[in-house]
Amino acid sequence: MELVGNEKEIQALFRELKLADERVAPEFISVWNRAQATRPAPSRVFKISLAVATTLFVIVLSALVLWSRTGQRSERAHPGVATESTTPDSTPAPPAAMPLPTRPTQIVVAQPPNRVKSNRWDRKLAARRQADRDARNAIIREAVSISSWQSPTATLMQSPADDVLTSLPQLDRSLTELKTFLPNTPQ
Amino acid sequence: MKHKQIDISELQAELEKLHGASFGWALSCCRRDRAEAEEVLQTVYLKILEGKARYRGESSLKTWLFAVIRKTAITELRKRLLRALKSIAIPNSTTGLNSFVAEPAAAFERSEAQQQFQRALERLPARQRQALHLVFYEDLSLREAANVMGVSIGSARQHYERGKKHLRVSLNREELDYGISWERKGNPGAVS
Repeated sequence: MELVGNEKEIQALFRELKLADERVAPEFISVWNRAQATRPAPSRVFKISLAVATTLFVIVLSALVLWSRTGQRSERAHPGVATESTTPDSTPAPPAAMPLPTRPTQIVVAQPPNRVKSNRWDRKLAARRQADRDARNAIIREAVSISSWQSPTATLMQSPADDVLTSLPQLDRSLTELKTFLPNTPQ
Repeated sequence: MKHKQIDISELQAELEKLHGASFGWALSCCRRDRAEAEEVLQTVYLKILEGKARYRGESSLKTWLFAVIRKTAITELRKRLLRALKSIAIPNSTTGLNSFVAEPAAAFERSEAQQQFQRALERLPARQRQALHLVFYEDLSLREAANVMGVSIGSARQHYERGKKHLRVSLNREELDYGISWERKGNPGAVS
């Protein structure tokens, strides 16, 4: 870039300024080191996140183990609790598809032995399970009663000609022949 | 150097070579506030170390570095303004000429003409000051200056011409105020 006239003087002033700046400029290495010092170490960040993740995993795992052990202990505390149904948690089938039992499914609850003293948690768990079973039995009973229900006026709908009305007509036969073939028809 | 990626150790060596010029440019972007310029330069190096500012070889390293410094200085200035607004306090590190007052020993060393020149520079709009700095201080071409400033070459040329004009007017005013001669040697004309 060609400089003419007072541009050269401006440049001279800038040069002077540059020299003054160079005298007061900080050392590169000091600025660079400060920048490096303020830089967060990626490995440290990674280690911290890994430690947090591991701790969380251990906590969750131990909570699961404790929960499963508590469940097993409560099962052992109530060994007599049994039902006639296949599984306690299975949902009842819809009433139409279910075979009609003569009496609803009964749950036999054996009294726990006196020597086994269940703690408060076990008792709560047992009470909750018992409540669930009662509710399920009530549903089954209701379904059975609905499926076996009959109208009180159903007998009024019956007539002596029910057999004729319910039997199938036979084609290519005369009425007299039909009478011979149909033994139940009134003569 | 052009059109290639360079690793951090190589980049560090290149940055060291450009450190003086980078500091001068940071000073210009920070209105001659030395502490702020150092902070900006440190932030720029941190950005490079963290990979937030990455040299892709699309322009010369100097142009790229200066553009990063300019952007960082603007960001830092905004942050400081926000901080000042939040605290609603009188800024303790005033920019510009007051920074020279804060450094009496350094100011004393400077010639009177140089002080006048710096005062005149301070009065210029930032873009014009930056255009003049890049051309006269860093010996960059107008195209390179435009790249650093993030403007078109036409715009950079306009800032440059206006900057020169304003600087002349400002220096003439200083001459009248202080009785120091500032020789005008005609219209410089176009810059090639």
